[in-house]
Amino acid sequence: MISLRGVTLVYPNGTRALDGIDLEIAKGSFVFLVGHSGTGKSSLLRLLYREQRPSRGSVTVDGIRVDKLRRSKVPYLRRNVGVVFQDYKLLVDKTVWENVAFALQVTGARSRDVIRGVPRVLDLVGLAHKSRMFPNELSGGEQQRTAIARALVNNPKILLCDEPTGNLDPANTNDIMDLLHRINLKGTTVLIATHNVLVVDRMRRRVIRLDDGRITADEERGYYHAAGGAAADTAELPIMRYSVGPRTSSLLSE
Amino acid sequence: MDPGRVRFFLSEVARNFSRNVIMQLTAIGTVTVTIVLLGAFLFTRETAGKIGNDVLHQVQISVFLKDTAGAADAKAIAAKLAHDRRVASVTYVPKAEGLAQMRDRLRGQIDMSLLTSNPLPDALRVRAVDTNHVDQVAAALRKMPSVAKVEYAQDAVQKLVRLSAVLGRIGLGIVALLIVTAAIIISNTIRLTVFARRREIAIMQLVGASSGYIRLPFICEGFLAGLCGAALAVALLAVARAQLLPKLALALPFVPLHDADVNAVVFALELLGVGAAVGIVASWFSVGRHLRT
Repeated sequence: MISLRGVTLVYPNGTRALDGIDLEIAKGSFVFLVGHSGTGKSSLLRLLYREQRPSRGSVTVDGIRVDKLRRSKVPYLRRNVGVVFQDYKLLVDKTVWENVAFALQVTGARSRDVIRGVPRVLDLVGLAHKSRMFPNELSGGEQQRTAIARALVNNPKILLCDEPTGNLDPANTNDIMDLLHRINLKGTTVLIATHNVLVVDRMRRRVIRLDDGRITADEERGYYHAAGGAAADTAELPIMRYSVGPRTSSLLSE
Repeated sequence: MDPGRVRFFLSEVARNFSRNVIMQLTAIGTVTVTIVLLGAFLFTRETAGKIGNDVLHQVQISVFLKDTAGAADAKAIAAKLAHDRRVASVTYVPKAEGLAQMRDRLRGQIDMSLLTSNPLPDALRVRAVDTNHVDQVAAALRKMPSVAKVEYAQDAVQKLVRLSAVLGRIGLGIVALLIVTAAIIISNTIRLTVFARRREIAIMQLVGASSGYIRLPFICEGFLAGLCGAALAVALLAVARAQLLPKLALALPFVPLHDADVNAVVFALELLGVGAAVGIVASWFSVGRHLRT
């Protein structure tokens, strides 16, 4: 589904964000991309939805050479790749329903498809009852669920999440991870960049670790800190103070 | 087309348009001023052209015949000229009539009673269809055997033609400059809208809206600004035509200020077209620059 070969990304200011990345992600996988801030997690995701082109190497997404894709074809790639961000990127003057519908409307969907598609994803993310509310009337978790609904409404094959729980408390974090897990069970490939140790360690899925733009660990059913790697990172300790409630245990129950 | 899609699209355009009302009004005002001046310029050029043509039309070639030539020769030349397509009219002025006309013209200025004989030759007054032909007609006349002298206001004609061409070019330059100004102001207005909507544009790009789709509401916004400005200008010009033209015509009795030949509807549509085109082109560029980044 996703394949990177010899990918290097150097920004115009000389920063080497990615350095010789080789990576294969199978269809339907659930993968964590971990590492410190500035190690290239977001850069790697940006390559996948063609916000960025690699300086060297090839990027293939769903059989398409993304690095060679013509600008005019990029919109069609993006309809197949949903993206979710830490800051939700919702339109504050549109309701939940309108925010989700927007993704369909601006891609030229027929109103019949909008009327069918929006309630379906709002149902999936559990926001059907709040569809008329505006983003600032919602909790962070609800806002993120709206953003996920928007990313899903075009039925993408891949869902990319850049720190999706970065602004959320533990309870909401678990809700969102639970939701992403359910989405993955429906067949969508999910790739999550995060530095939330708890989430990664509880879910025990494939973990790819980036350090200074290189892959330093890649484990199936891995932990945030690779076996034999450094011990708990002090920078990430505050997150670990949160107590783990009963919601967490429901993460893998579905 | 799907009515829901049309409704969504129109609501997007309306939102854009209402977001920067002040800037939008500035853009519309600039287009209005530009189009009013363009209209006034085109009208003036048309009228000036006509006046010029009238003046030039009055440039007549005076053909003086030799003393040996008689009325028959004069009539022969007149008949020959009548077939020439470059010639608008030929008038035969026998010497007696020429003297009578001169007496009339100079009455009270010179005492013509002192004249014992008629010093004037028989003459023909020839008018060319087009001022450009005056030279050729005059040259042809000079070659005729019974013609003694051919006179016409060559320099004056040429100067007039040159002056009107220069004035036309200056006017055109000013109008072009105004159109560019209007385009820049519209472009800036659109850029403000683009800036205000950068989040939405970013999200549109993220979820896979084509750049054509993203661009379209902004193009429509520019189109609307241009069209509104031009419509206002056309209205102003219509009022000016109804109110001012009769007064102007009274003030300048000898200037032929007719606009009957100008098809008002076609003229208005042309001006509207210019306004709309300026809006479209300006917004196309301002959004294009943003989408590339």
